[in-house]
Amino acid sequence: MAQHISWEEARNILRKLRDDQVRDGDIVVKLWEDVLMDASHKLGNELWSVYEQVCVAALDCQRLDIAETCIEALNAKFPNSVRVKRLEGLLLEAESKYERATELYNAILEKDDANMFARKRLVAILKSQKKISDAIDKLNDYLKKFMTDYEAWTELCDLYLSVYDYSNASFCMEELIMSNPHNHLFHQKYADIKYTVGGTENMELARTYYAQAVKLSPNNVRALYGLFLSSTNLAMSSGKGAKDKQLNGKYAAWAADQIRIKYKTQQSEEQMRETKVMESIEKLLESLQAVG
Amino acid sequence: MAELLLDSNIRVWVFLPIVVITFLIGIIRHYVTILLSSEKKSDLQQVADSHALIRSRILRENGRYIPKQSFLVRKNFFNNEDRGFFKVEKRESQAKNPMTDPSMMTDMMKGNVTNVLPMIVIGGWINWAFSGFLTTKVPFPLTLRFKPMLQRGVELVSLDASWVSSASWYFLNVFGLRSMYTLILGQDNAADQTRAMQDQMSGSAMMAPPDPMKAFKAEWEALEVCGHEWALEGVEEELTGGIIQPETIYLKNKFA
Repeated sequence: MAQHISWEEARNILRKLRDDQVRDGDIVVKLWEDVLMDASHKLGNELWSVYEQVCVAALDCQRLDIAETCIEALNAKFPNSVRVKRLEGLLLEAESKYERATELYNAILEKDDANMFARKRLVAILKSQKKISDAIDKLNDYLKKFMTDYEAWTELCDLYLSVYDYSNASFCMEELIMSNPHNHLFHQKYADIKYTVGGTENMELARTYYAQAVKLSPNNVRALYGLFLSSTNLAMSSGKGAKDKQLNGKYAAWAADQIRIKYKTQQSEEQMRETKVMESIEKLLESLQAVG
Repeated sequence: MAELLLDSNIRVWVFLPIVVITFLIGIIRHYVTILLSSEKKSDLQQVADSHALIRSRILRENGRYIPKQSFLVRKNFFNNEDRGFFKVEKRESQAKNPMTDPSMMTDMMKGNVTNVLPMIVIGGWINWAFSGFLTTKVPFPLTLRFKPMLQRGVELVSLDASWVSSASWYFLNVFGLRSMYTLILGQDNAADQTRAMQDQMSGSAMMAPPDPMKAFKAEWEALEVCGHEWALEGVEEELTGGIIQPETIYLKNKFA
């Protein structure tokens, strides 16, 4: 950081990051080292939350030395706190001492059965050890208890995707869509999964959900392109009536138009020529007309 | 009416002491509550139950955003005749007798020790030590209806309603010092009597954990009658502008 930042400013920035739950380790560690560390006593009672924040940030940045000093200070103040224990667990994980971290989390769970954090960290340990199937099992157990933890559903969806288990991944996405039906990204991702699975039925679902994503957020070009691809795919597939084909052709043409407008308003003529997307769209549209 | 004149000793020995006492009591209450408060541990089973109930509620509300097949799978998970979640899960009734649960007893004790007891003791003491004084006068005329509120302990029919008695001054302080506490102790302080009183009123409903079996039954019924109407039906048509808006059909000839 080039410009000098006063002590108050640094404190306020950290406070803001903490309140908004922004995870930007670099800034936090830098502010701590450059400004706050030498006058940490001035923070008063806020010091402990700052220690916690800095500790997590330092772990993100692989600055284990800072994390260790933070944990030491917190341990001296709160000897038996579960919250400090979890920081210790995170440090152990960062040092790749997975077994000891697992022990520590299990000890927390023995004391407090309903500790969501420790349960999730156990899954994370399995994931970082590349034991994906174990992680999936563990996360499933977790979700049987905490059914409305939508972060966990997101994670489970990604884990399933990483092992190409699309039907289970789409189940997770359905949960997420229900949790917030106005988030266009959920709809788009669900459509992505359905599109990947393929088949007429899934393709129709994909088309519908891409359309919903576009409806919720007209600027989602990925969803527009998905709508275009799925409609073209359906229009070209055999076994459907002529009316269906015509409808799908219409959707494809509409999506293509929308994409063209998006690119035209965003880019200059020269950039347009460089853009390969439009070419592929034109080609697909042509072949579509040839079939129709 | 002849103007009343208050002895300045009343200001020094009654008016100000009451303010200071109520204020200090509030501060002490705050710290005693912090000392006595025990961490509430949540029971895993209870947490899991509430999560299940919320998920079922979300399914009812937003189930129309997922395909019918997926909706039915989830409904089946909760409501299947033989293996459904709400059918299989059996919970003991949580409505425990507080007398048999020692931890609940201590919680109630602590609540009483910090809330009710000081209220009675200090209130009684103030009443005994400072009774019968007029302490101050509000600088505007009031109707007779205010007399029982402002002149507790001084039952004089002929007295103007704007005079405030010592007991009433104490109560005004108890309820009026809230913003002072927020200023000094921060937002969520325990010194505030009014909040404690509100807790007591709504407390009985909040304290007893709802019977999960009853909640399951209610949720089961609600989900049972919940159908599925896909919200995304025809969204492509809507998007590409193929659909006729209903208003245009119905309002077409209204003024013709």
